[in-house]
Amino acid sequence: MARVIQCIADNVVSPLGRTSMENYVNVKAGCSGLARFEEMDRVSSPFMLSRIDRYVMDELCIGLDIPDGKYTFFEKMLLTSSIQAVRKAGIDPSSDRVLFIISTTKGNVSLLDRDVKGFPQERVLLGKSASMVSRYFGNPNAPVVVCNACISGVCAQIEAMRALQSGRYDYAVVTGADEQSPFIISGFLSFKALTDTPCRPFDKDRTGLNLGECAATVVLKASDAPACGWVLEGGAIRNDANHISGPSRTGEGSYLALMEVLRKCGREGLAFVNVHGTATAYNDEMESIALYRAGLIDVPVTGLKGYYGHTMGAAGIMESILSMYAVQDGTVLATRGYAEQGVTYPVNVSPENRPAHGNRFIKLLSGFGGCNAALSYAYYS
Amino acid sequence: MTDMEKERNLKYTVITDKGVTVCGRVLEHNHTGSAMLTEIYRAQLGDWPKFFKMDTLSKVGYLASELLLKELGERRLEGEEYASDRAIVLFGTTASLCADRNYQETIQDSDNYYPSPALFVYTLPNIVTGEIAIRNHYRGETSFYVLDGYDTGSMAFHLQCAFQDDVTESLLAGWVDSTDNDDFRCFFTLMDRADASDLKGLENELKGIMDNLK
Amino acid sequence: MEEMILKLKQEIIEVLNLEDVKPEDIDNDAPLFGEGLGLDSIDALELIVLMEKNYGIKLQDPAKGKEIFKSINVMADYIQKNRTR
Repeated sequence: MARVIQCIADNVVSPLGRTSMENYVNVKAGCSGLARFEEMDRVSSPFMLSRIDRYVMDELCIGLDIPDGKYTFFEKMLLTSSIQAVRKAGIDPSSDRVLFIISTTKGNVSLLDRDVKGFPQERVLLGKSASMVSRYFGNPNAPVVVCNACISGVCAQIEAMRALQSGRYDYAVVTGADEQSPFIISGFLSFKALTDTPCRPFDKDRTGLNLGECAATVVLKASDAPACGWVLEGGAIRNDANHISGPSRTGEGSYLALMEVLRKCGREGLAFVNVHGTATAYNDEMESIALYRAGLIDVPVTGLKGYYGHTMGAAGIMESILSMYAVQDGTVLATRGYAEQGVTYPVNVSPENRPAHGNRFIKLLSGFGGCNAALSYAYYS
Repeated sequence: MTDMEKERNLKYTVITDKGVTVCGRVLEHNHTGSAMLTEIYRAQLGDWPKFFKMDTLSKVGYLASELLLKELGERRLEGEEYASDRAIVLFGTTASLCADRNYQETIQDSDNYYPSPALFVYTLPNIVTGEIAIRNHYRGETSFYVLDGYDTGSMAFHLQCAFQDDVTESLLAGWVDSTDNDDFRCFFTLMDRADASDLKGLENELKGIMDNLK
Repeated sequence: MEEMILKLKQEIIEVLNLEDVKPEDIDNDAPLFGEGLGLDSIDALELIVLMEKNYGIKLQDPAKGKEIFKSINVMADYIQKNRTR
């Protein structure tokens, strides 16, 4: 008998709030964290960024008794979110029945910049950041970092589900974050993937993506008996086997991941699909094809990049959490920035909040390396 | 046959900056480091010019996987043939550190600031899984996990977990690390569900293989 | 022009890691993308960097690259007319 994997606590730290609820209320009200930057260090072209105020972060750290000077900004992101979620869950994080899983793409990469000082170079290793977090909680288990580009946040939850299913652990703390340093911004600029105006997912005039900073955590629990609340019912990761930086023109990997999730979890009660919706020409087009092929073209879709930008390691977790709040609130969140259909297979997207019908959602992501991932959560009262 | 020998059934390739071993057979080479990778590629494969565009992590992972699949006599899927039942699951401690450093050089000085997209794309360690998936037409799961040290216990556990995907029947699994273009360590193996059923046995087997990397 | 074309070919071979290609293998009028050299979208972006780094030409719209990278002749011609260094 498979165990039931419940989400028992969550947290989102972003420019739109320090808790999941604050974030949800602000998103529902249409607020965005995106702002225009003319430059950053040696990056001299303008770009949009949803950036966490460093003073606000330090204040949050003080409130949570996180010692000053010991942690990098990226590590503070991980800690502020995971501490709040672990407290909310009321679990003992030092138990050997708890596993810590970190989702990030670039971690402390900003330490490679010769102008950045104050921390030893070895902290650039992602495993060191993960150990820093598990050690903070006094957890005895070896943490693992999921590093699968933009889909890491969904993969980390899938891996947590598997680790819990195995019976070795009873709880998993899954935290994702990425700092938007000149390293990442310059790279995306070199890809001509960024736009210097607010992004417009699925819109005919979309011109590229925005980046954003966020830390998000879910605490998952395995139960042997049927449980109520949010249940992570299935997930899948599939590769396009097409190109390392461009999505498949036929949406192959996303389609396969969606089909596997639908096979495991069914379509009943599906309120919406929370898509990747980066607002690049290729991504949104690919997603529309994958949704169409999976028979989901009529299901409402919603994308959150217009509020947060692309938050990379946090995206899969934060967007899952906001989706949980939206389902419980009976709302399909507006896709901020969308105005007019701009993909071959018209997706069911709206610039306004809409009523949601159902107890389930699918979270879909795709990323560099040709990887794609989907998962499904359902709410049982 | 002793119990210890019975446990050792995984076939594997090992690549370090000093040499290449394919299922126990040591390949000849005149160079070391990055020059050795090119030398081995030309001598053994030579059929994929994209190899030269890859970063070191991808070159090492690509070579190790190709040499292993060739040695095992695996038929290559071509044309419209694709497989979803083979996953690629890799581990390491350095992730894309080598590519990160190379890319950082292109943005370090304001007088010589030319961010390179071709270098940037490799600053994601899972790109190596994508390169292998593309070459072999694998549409199954691809995952990259970063650990804090040579932790064969965690590796065995997460490999066993990968088989919880019902579609996955075999794993191209391995370890790949690179800190700069001339410093790398890697092994690749091919395993099925049965190979991963005994966690302790798998951990022991991985321990034996990882000793080659030290 | 001959000299400039040879230099450009060498630069392209180096920056795109076309290890097995020699300058004389690249036909001046043949399309750079599609068939032949097997270049892809990342290569196109890297050529944009090459134009800026070596010739001081800033190309904001990557779509414009499509026209410029039609062939070596077209690219060399564009560089000749627009170079700032």
